[in-house]
Amino acid sequence: MNDIRRTVDARGQACPMPVILTRKALAEGGFDLLEVLVDDASSQENVVRFAEYAKCVVAGVEAEGAVSRILIRPGVAAPAAPEARVFAAPAPIPAPAGPDTTVFISSSGIGTGDEQLAALLMRAFLYTLTEAEAAPARIIFMNGGVRLAVEGSEALVNLKRLAERGVEILACGTCLEFYQLKDALAVGRVSNMYEIAGLLLQGRTLSI
Amino acid sequence: MDLIATFPSSQAALRAEQALKGAAMAVELIPVPRQIRGDCGFCLLLAEAGADGAIELRRCGAQELWRVTTTQTDPSSRKVKSYERYP
Repeated sequence: MNDIRRTVDARGQACPMPVILTRKALAEGGFDLLEVLVDDASSQENVVRFAEYAKCVVAGVEAEGAVSRILIRPGVAAPAAPEARVFAAPAPIPAPAGPDTTVFISSSGIGTGDEQLAALLMRAFLYTLTEAEAAPARIIFMNGGVRLAVEGSEALVNLKRLAERGVEILACGTCLEFYQLKDALAVGRVSNMYEIAGLLLQGRTLSI
Repeated sequence: MDLIATFPSSQAALRAEQALKGAAMAVELIPVPRQIRGDCGFCLLLAEAGADGAIELRRCGAQELWRVTTTQTDPSSRKVKSYERYP
């Protein structure tokens, strides 16, 4: 059987363009197999994650030098080819003790006022989460908040403890890039606006 | 033993943290456990402290020292911490 293919060439495109182009192509439809070409690792990760989020089957990722070809079959109903495989979630996440709560942290301190106090309050808050009976399902860091999850952060020890307890730690990739901290992320993983917005709209979100 | 040191103010706790970290002591700034005092405030936790650790904490302005005991009845249950004054 010959699949009707469509190719999205997202080589050289910066985040979030590869995901936007993929989403556009999936919305338009009219093909059995979508191949997305990207040329950097985080774009590849983001497109794969988006495809899974959009309930598509990622039928494979082929690397040719610096270029990755991501093969996506649209829709849940579309039967997967025998050789197809569904990508596993990045890591098994044990069920957290608490409800499906997301903590959204968009600054490196809590509140406005003295910066040193704000930073102290944030550290104390994160420590307290490690001691809390019901841990949140995930913590999302955006804007200045990403500074908490990078090398040299005083909060790192507590974020690592939370990660060990099964709390998912997500950091906005655009923000890390903006602050030139992309290589410094020391806990959790890079995420993007689509995933973050989806998570904020599902379940309960606490914005710090 | 794990020791907690309280301070007269948040600023004092922060100054002590900086001094002790400067001396390569692995202290952690944490909120004061509610069993110790009801007020909002910060304290320092020094894990696996010896008698020297207690002396250093005092030298850096600690008001009170508390020994932390962690008990866990079985691996699946929650850890419970109790606190007693350290002389």
